[in-house]
Amino acid sequence: MKDRRLLGYLFVFAATLLVPAVVHDTFLLRVFTEAVMWIGLAVTFDVLAGYTGYLNFGHSAFFGIGAYTTAILMVRAGWHFAPAAVLGGAAAGIGALIAGFPTLRLRGAYFAIATWALARAIQQLVLIMDVTGGPDGMRLPAFLSPRFFYYVMLGLVGITFFAYWFLLERAPFGLKLKAVREDEQGAKALGLNPTKLKMQAFILSAVPTGIIGGVFAYWVTFIDPASTLGDLVSDQALVMVVFGGMGTLVGPVVGAILIFAFKTAFWAYLSDYEVLYIIILGAVIAGSVVFLPNGVLGVLPQRGRRNGPSPEEKGPGAVLPETEGGNSHG
Amino acid sequence: MAEPILVVDNLTKNFGGLAAVSEVSFQVHPKEIVGLIGPNGAGKTTLFNVISGYFAPSRGKILFQGKNISGKPPYVLAGRGIGRTFQVVKPFPGLSVLENVVIASFLRHPKRARAEEHAWKVLEFTELADKAHQSAASLTLAGRKRLEIGKALALDPTFLLLDEVVAGLNPTEVDHTIDLILKLRDRGITILIVEHIMRVIMRISDRLVVLNFGQKIAEGPPGEVARDPGVVEAYLGGGEA
Amino acid sequence: MELLPQALVDGIMLGAIYIIIAIGFSLVYGVMHVIDFAVGEWIMLGGFAGFYLNEWTHVEPMLLLPAVFAVFAVVGYLFQPLIHRVLSGHRGNPLLMGLVFTFGLSLMFRGLAQTFFGFYSHSVPSRFSNGSFFLQEGGFSMTVSSVRLAGLLYALLITGILHYLLKHTDFGLGVRALAQNRDAAGLMGVNNKRTSAYVYGIYVGISAMTGVLIGMILSLSAKMGPDYTIFAFFVVVLAGMGYLAGVPAAAFLLGIIQSFFLIYLDPGYTLLAVFAILYTILLVSPRGLFGKGV
Repeated sequence: MKDRRLLGYLFVFAATLLVPAVVHDTFLLRVFTEAVMWIGLAVTFDVLAGYTGYLNFGHSAFFGIGAYTTAILMVRAGWHFAPAAVLGGAAAGIGALIAGFPTLRLRGAYFAIATWALARAIQQLVLIMDVTGGPDGMRLPAFLSPRFFYYVMLGLVGITFFAYWFLLERAPFGLKLKAVREDEQGAKALGLNPTKLKMQAFILSAVPTGIIGGVFAYWVTFIDPASTLGDLVSDQALVMVVFGGMGTLVGPVVGAILIFAFKTAFWAYLSDYEVLYIIILGAVIAGSVVFLPNGVLGVLPQRGRRNGPSPEEKGPGAVLPETEGGNSHG
Repeated sequence: MAEPILVVDNLTKNFGGLAAVSEVSFQVHPKEIVGLIGPNGAGKTTLFNVISGYFAPSRGKILFQGKNISGKPPYVLAGRGIGRTFQVVKPFPGLSVLENVVIASFLRHPKRARAEEHAWKVLEFTELADKAHQSAASLTLAGRKRLEIGKALALDPTFLLLDEVVAGLNPTEVDHTIDLILKLRDRGITILIVEHIMRVIMRISDRLVVLNFGQKIAEGPPGEVARDPGVVEAYLGGGEA
Repeated sequence: MELLPQALVDGIMLGAIYIIIAIGFSLVYGVMHVIDFAVGEWIMLGGFAGFYLNEWTHVEPMLLLPAVFAVFAVVGYLFQPLIHRVLSGHRGNPLLMGLVFTFGLSLMFRGLAQTFFGFYSHSVPSRFSNGSFFLQEGGFSMTVSSVRLAGLLYALLITGILHYLLKHTDFGLGVRALAQNRDAAGLMGVNNKRTSAYVYGIYVGISAMTGVLIGMILSLSAKMGPDYTIFAFFVVVLAGMGYLAGVPAAAFLLGIIQSFFLIYLDPGYTLLAVFAILYTILLVSPRGLFGKGV
């Protein structure tokens, strides 16, 4: 059954390879490229949120670190794009290591707010530094080939998706992460080191996010703190995952496509109402939590869902908030 | 007698100013079943949590197979061969019974296919094989308690800490679990068990260690301990049957 | 160096206000186990409520505080069941969902505020705003602004009332019981749902009132929320999660940092400094400055 799914994914991926052959309109190809980028950002967000239970409200920090690292290496050091973007991913990974080290030992709430604060602090830092161009942003050498960027983005996101599929759905890693998500204390007794696993998941989430940021920087040729480090990046990744269905690989993809389609339509017709878009994002996030606990995927008829039983099957123990610290007295 | 597998030496665990466990010493020998009893709040679960690495001891030390393990985290101890169950059973509710046991099997079998094979053996041993694909949360209490033992067993432990694995079960299920525990011992696993139901603990334990207010008040074969006036006073007199 | 005592005094008076924000935030976390990402938005909305009420009635904003409290307490009370539903519904990870939910709320509130209140900064005009005392003691001199002093007194008053409520009333006993052990509290007859709704109402009410004061002392803008959410979290983490006695020290420290950056450096660095301290504390002593958190 799992292999049939993989065939399905591969088929969809193969089909997307043909998009540039059919779509000749430059604007439309840009839209497709951006859609692929958002799929990547949603899937990377979900590795941590859905599989590990840690919300990274500062996802933009890693996107921005990747974008700025790539831009600085290309503009200030004259690097070629590919190694610069890879180093952008590495920088994001190191950022995750540094940010995760004190926070991943603690409960999820600390992590959520600390990453959120981190994204703001990094934005502030970029604004005051010279090497980043401060509020003026950075202009990269232009390479105007929509097809090139479509394939680079698709290849990158495709590799990320299939690597995640293997690691999370086939290899032991995914089950171990789920064990930590479900019950961290219980997982320890089974020989799992939760902090290490969470850290691995965080890095696994941050590295591709950083590379995507690097590709984005080269693609759009101009970056500034708002476009790469602004709240909107994290907020959109969050809404895509929550709306699509957290804790699955397909959910974020579906969520990303639907939300991105909405966003594109919204900007095309209502670009004067930027704030309305934010309100809608907030409403979709809050509304999904209340009405679509498993995302849009959750309302479709289920057939052998990978993410374990549906909530209806769960006993009452599953819905109680976790008690912290366990029992201290016998 | 052979070298003890576990030595608890003058162990104290404080919470704030309160000593939950105070200067407790005892030993467990290979293939023994040792019962740890005492009234509610006597410090049994705290002692379990210290031995299994959830709390670091405030004073004293714990030797396992001759090595000091005080303060080592639970996942390291699991690797050394210490398995444990929880009083409040903790299956991973969103995962299937099989997946629950597979996760524990990864410790000795890092490859997924081998881990699944191993998990099936454990499920057959604990008679959960027919429920393998159910969600863990859908099991009855008896099933969840058996799954809890199964998860600990999947670690291939040499030493098992069982925390109230029969409490709340009906008499048939109790007998069933007792058989399971005895079978574990026959496989060469040493067991330290906390249990409230006297009938069970008397039947399966080779020796008993009695705690009261965090201190050890008696130790010895079940028959002897049951006649110890201090124990009767503290334990049986405390309203427990 | 003559500005140093000034920065300290300003900071302490500002910090007093953060005490109340952090206490409310901690109470909600203790009772409902949810970190409310919308705390900064409640502050912002309360500030604007005070601003418009003042514009409309021309009543001194200090006197409007009870009205702002009452309105927002009711709003919070009515809002809580929704959060409760998220936390207790049939979901895999209710705590995670609680975080996501309040995050969504904060986005919505922020967007709505930008729509209705615009993008500009406002300040709430108070007759205290212009007054100040000038203190001179030997070589030192400093200005104590009346509005900051009023803020300090307000903070002391609210802290006192909360202290009384928590320590000397049945309601407070219920709150403390819930914070310690939800199941046992339920057995003792504490109504989890109702107590949580009251706590949330009180918290929203005092956050909103505090927003009015912030509008008098500093300024208001529709986008101010996230800064205050981070400040609230900063104070609570520094104090040690759940350790209320540590809150004042942490709050004063934040106020002093903020005043210090305002006077000596670029206020743009404040957030960086806050983050650096937060990071260091999480790294070195995750249980807070005093090691007493949970």
